[in-house]
Amino acid sequence: MNDRVLNGLLDRLLLQSGKKIRLFAALGALFVGTSLFLLSVAIWWNFNELLFGKNKDDAMASTYLIIGKRVTDQNMGKPMATVFRPAEIEEIRKAPQVQDVGWITANHFPIYAMMGGNLGFATELPLESVPDKFIDKTPAEWRWQPGDNSLPIIISSQFLDIYNYVFAPSQGLPQLSESTVKSLALKLKVGADDRNEIMMAHVVGFSDRINSVLAPQSFIDYYNHKFKGEESGGGPSQLILKALDPSDTKFARFLTDHDYSTNSQNLKWSKVRAVVEVVATTTGVLAILIMGISILVFILFIELTVARAHQSLTLLGQIGFGPKFLSGYMNRHFLPMVGLISICSAVFVCVLQFSAHILVHSQGLVLPPLPGAIVWISFLICSALLVVLIMRSIKQSIKP
Amino acid sequence: MQGVIPVPIREKVISRESGIWNATITFAKGEILFIQAPSGTGKTTLIHCLYGIRKDYEGDIAWDNNSLLTIDEEDMADMRTKKLSIIFQDMRLFPELTAYENIEIKRRLTDTVSEEQVFAWMERLGITEKRNSLGKTLSYGEQQRTAIIRALVQPFDWLLMDEPFSHLDHTNIDKARKLIAEVTSSTNAGILIADLDENKYFDYTKTLML
Repeated sequence: MNDRVLNGLLDRLLLQSGKKIRLFAALGALFVGTSLFLLSVAIWWNFNELLFGKNKDDAMASTYLIIGKRVTDQNMGKPMATVFRPAEIEEIRKAPQVQDVGWITANHFPIYAMMGGNLGFATELPLESVPDKFIDKTPAEWRWQPGDNSLPIIISSQFLDIYNYVFAPSQGLPQLSESTVKSLALKLKVGADDRNEIMMAHVVGFSDRINSVLAPQSFIDYYNHKFKGEESGGGPSQLILKALDPSDTKFARFLTDHDYSTNSQNLKWSKVRAVVEVVATTTGVLAILIMGISILVFILFIELTVARAHQSLTLLGQIGFGPKFLSGYMNRHFLPMVGLISICSAVFVCVLQFSAHILVHSQGLVLPPLPGAIVWISFLICSALLVVLIMRSIKQSIKP
Repeated sequence: MQGVIPVPIREKVISRESGIWNATITFAKGEILFIQAPSGTGKTTLIHCLYGIRKDYEGDIAWDNNSLLTIDEEDMADMRTKKLSIIFQDMRLFPELTAYENIEIKRRLTDTVSEEQVFAWMERLGITEKRNSLGKTLSYGEQQRTAIIRALVQPFDWLLMDEPFSHLDHTNIDKARKLIAEVTSSTNAGILIADLDENKYFDYTKTLML
């Protein structure tokens, strides 16, 4: 009932007994508890963003990694020993954090690359292919079909770096930009001497993800089949994995247990992550504890208020005010306060997040200016929990 | 009422004759009942049992077939705002509210009587000057008159009264009973009054000895 006079009278009967300072103390405790809880979630989330977050530039790079079987003294010289068998691939597919697995198919036929002009070098060129979905950005020209004598290739951007910063200066050769490299053409001699085919290859893209020279899958498959026949179906010796979080200790353990090698830097983070997890968990547990205590303080305050107004409540009940009416009145009194405190906590956390965003920016790190979804979800859950607990406590303490 | 015996005064009740305790009684709508109850016979207990604020009795009390022993609090509150009204022996005003606010809080809950009507009734019972005095500063007589008006500002089928005029002089009793009779007859509500001595406050349709 939205009757101001009635509410005013009820205020005087039910809420005047407590001291204002107690209410402010209880609200303060609630603010501290909720803010600490949200902060701990935000801190955990920020750590994740900083340590494992994906910068826009290398967006997907860090979640993709290439694994192979470690070459040891025992399996040296046995090519089939380092090949992944279907059962093993299936097991990897089910490993923790692994979202997708792709074969890296190497060429099983000779390819000889020649470059004319001033550069004038010629070399054996190992080519590999991966399914298109594992390529950072598939260029528009990324297609090949039997009969085409123009082959698009993607090279690792590291190769260009090595050429530009190591090879070119030492040999007195000009440094090349990405666009220049894309305009160059390589002459390829594909296949054994007697039935080789000549085609032109040109670089259509650069990959941060794969340290190799990639050709379209259709090209490798076609010539592997053509030159080697059925022998080419021996399985891949390298796999490309799409991993949700390669720094997960379980994933790292999976690789170690199976003696798979990888070049991923991400695995190094698993130790840092373990430390952060311990710190974050401890902070989280403490924050939950403090929040629990603050909710308890607030609920006790409400119960104390109700207990102090016991006589008035009893008499109100006797003259016809039902428990629903009275708890509704109490809810209307206390819930907006709780809402306000929750909003204040959220604003507080947003301000801190924005400050952190500015602070780390000056150190060359990137943190979002606003807390992420997980913080907001925690905020909603925590507010909902608070509302439910308070409504329950009011209902129970008003019960005649 | 059916075989009602209050547990705390069980021995006392069953050792003597009573027209109410341990009997089966039906109250017909519009009846004006007088329950004569000498001290210690459980008069207030009876009124409290009938109003549903005491449940420590054997037997059963039901209003419109709703047993007060099993009715839920929400329905009981509903009954107290629509069907049953009461004037307590001990008045039960809120000491921190003024005489007027004590009436107003009930009037706002049920919203059936106008503010002007309340002013008129206060004038009739001579408590207009006391309207802004806190409940705790009112004399018993003033409290009793305030409690009477509070009981009348809601719709009801039955008005329960427990020594409603105990603190009033003859003139004020006369004013109060006339007001109550007027209001109850206009709505054809029943009256159940419990008092110590025989009296002629109302035209009783039935008198029972407790």
